[in-house]
Amino acid sequence: MSGLRTAWRHLWPWALILALAVPAMGADYALGKATLVITYAIAGLGVVIVVGQAGQIALGQAALVALGAYVQAVLVGHGLAPLLAMPLAIAAGALGGALASLPARRLGGLYFGMSTLAFALIVEEVLARWDSVTQGAAGMAVAGFSVFGWRADATLAQALVSLGALAAALLLCARLVDSRHGRAWRAVRDDEVAAAACGVSPAAAKMQAFVVGGALSGLAGALYAHWIGFISPEQFGLVFSFELLMLAFIGGARRLGGALWGALVIVAIPQLIAVLRDHLPGDWARAAGLELVLFGAVIVAVVLLRPSGIAGARP
Amino acid sequence: MLAFIQVLTSGIAIGCVYGLVALSFVLIYKATETVSFMQGDLLMVGAFAALGLHLGAGWPLWLAAALAVAFVGVLGAGLERTVLRRAIGQPHLVAVLLTFGLGMMMRGSVASLPAAAQEVHRLPFAADTYAIGPLVLAASHVWVVVATVVLAAALAAFFRYTRAGLALRACSEDARVAALMGVPVARMHTLAWSLGAALAAVAGLLLAPVTFIHLNMGLIALKAFPAAVLGGLTSLPGALLAGIFLGVAEAVAGLLLPEGAKDVVPYALLMSALLLFPNGLGAGLRRGGGR
Repeated sequence: MSGLRTAWRHLWPWALILALAVPAMGADYALGKATLVITYAIAGLGVVIVVGQAGQIALGQAALVALGAYVQAVLVGHGLAPLLAMPLAIAAGALGGALASLPARRLGGLYFGMSTLAFALIVEEVLARWDSVTQGAAGMAVAGFSVFGWRADATLAQALVSLGALAAALLLCARLVDSRHGRAWRAVRDDEVAAAACGVSPAAAKMQAFVVGGALSGLAGALYAHWIGFISPEQFGLVFSFELLMLAFIGGARRLGGALWGALVIVAIPQLIAVLRDHLPGDWARAAGLELVLFGAVIVAVVLLRPSGIAGARP
Repeated sequence: MLAFIQVLTSGIAIGCVYGLVALSFVLIYKATETVSFMQGDLLMVGAFAALGLHLGAGWPLWLAAALAVAFVGVLGAGLERTVLRRAIGQPHLVAVLLTFGLGMMMRGSVASLPAAAQEVHRLPFAADTYAIGPLVLAASHVWVVVATVVLAAALAAFFRYTRAGLALRACSEDARVAALMGVPVARMHTLAWSLGAALAAVAGLLLAPVTFIHLNMGLIALKAFPAAVLGGLTSLPGALLAGIFLGVAEAVAGLLLPEGAKDVVPYALLMSALLLFPNGLGAGLRRGGGR
């Protein structure tokens, strides 16, 4: 009974948001945006694990999402069923995460953060140059998601598939965070030397966090590729990496639920700007940089005013 | 051989710009322990400010350039006073996000100016070439190298002989002890941000005749980060040298390796250097008596 009550306490704001969004934006549009929020939230969970739980600076998470998206797109393009391709996309993300975490064996903090940045930029360049497989900078189209002949073309179906994936990811993460691994991550986050003194291997803990974060990114990438239907290397650039970081920070990087709230904000900002453009007078509405300014202002405001994020404890 | 020297000089020139941006990054990091992801945007703002004052307001170029650098310096100080001060003592990620957010706001503000957005502009200087025998050098490249040497010398003198420079060094050595010795640490942080921002603006002005002025010219800072890290993150000469090294490596790679490999070279070098020398290549240099 109490489990149901906590579940309800977490779920009712989302039910309310959806109930408000459907009449305001139209069911189809609202569900499309909900799918996007959920997909972003899955990738955001990966960042929450790596940054919020294990305390590492990850500046290249978008590259892991890109790996998942590209593996899914290439395999489905060669005729593999999407459901069979997905585990491979997840594995690609996890493998990428393991690779990206290799420098963490010898480096800490900022140096390691810079190495993840370098890793992401290398991945982006390889995706753009490996024409024969990825079709290079021009990008590639991705077929829709389908299982045994059932095609998820309707926005409702897409939202439900994403929701299923998110639920599975959340459950897995909740268990991991409560497990030995989760405790090891937090120990490494709080004090690496102390963790090592207590028999927690920081290198192993960091790698595990990156493997889990990479797997979640790969899953999000695979779904994203299906929903958007077209992927190109530039979608997964530095800006996307920072969007994911902001997402985790805005929502609250220390909590799993933070990924959802952050995803909502990140997806909602462009919508808000579209609304603003309709109401602002002439020159301001056409200003091309409005979106960037608002995005920047939101992240600065959140970091200054609410350092633990929306879902985090009040200061 | 001639082609090689040609490529080498252009590599050195672009490497000097990497080095200057890396220098500005390291200057801020050393003094305040905060990471700045907005050096590229400061660089862009500096270039656009000079452009606006010279072509827009019709001021002479030297005055416009000086005012643009001063403006960005004041901007850096102002941002430190209002926002960035809050990141001191916090995890690195806080500063990363704050500066990235501020950088986005700068890019957005410039993009909102109808005259600036979506176009490539040029500043009318250093557009010609010098010929030394058979060797033809772009004036812009010569300018960059000369200015970098002058700036590096000025900075070295500043840190060695002036009160503020010594105080800044004391601050980055140990802020607490510096405070006990009567160094106004908070003011030194402002000075470091101001200097760092102004340096980025100078790099922007020097870059202007090479890549021209456009909204995304700040992306060059992405090449400056590897330089800063290769230099060891806390070594000013290390950052400058690593920047030049990366510029040359990139230029040589462009000559020898297949198309596209050039852009990956700095990051591949960074990754291998981080794996092989976790303390940065500049660590040895620092131990050898540098700063």
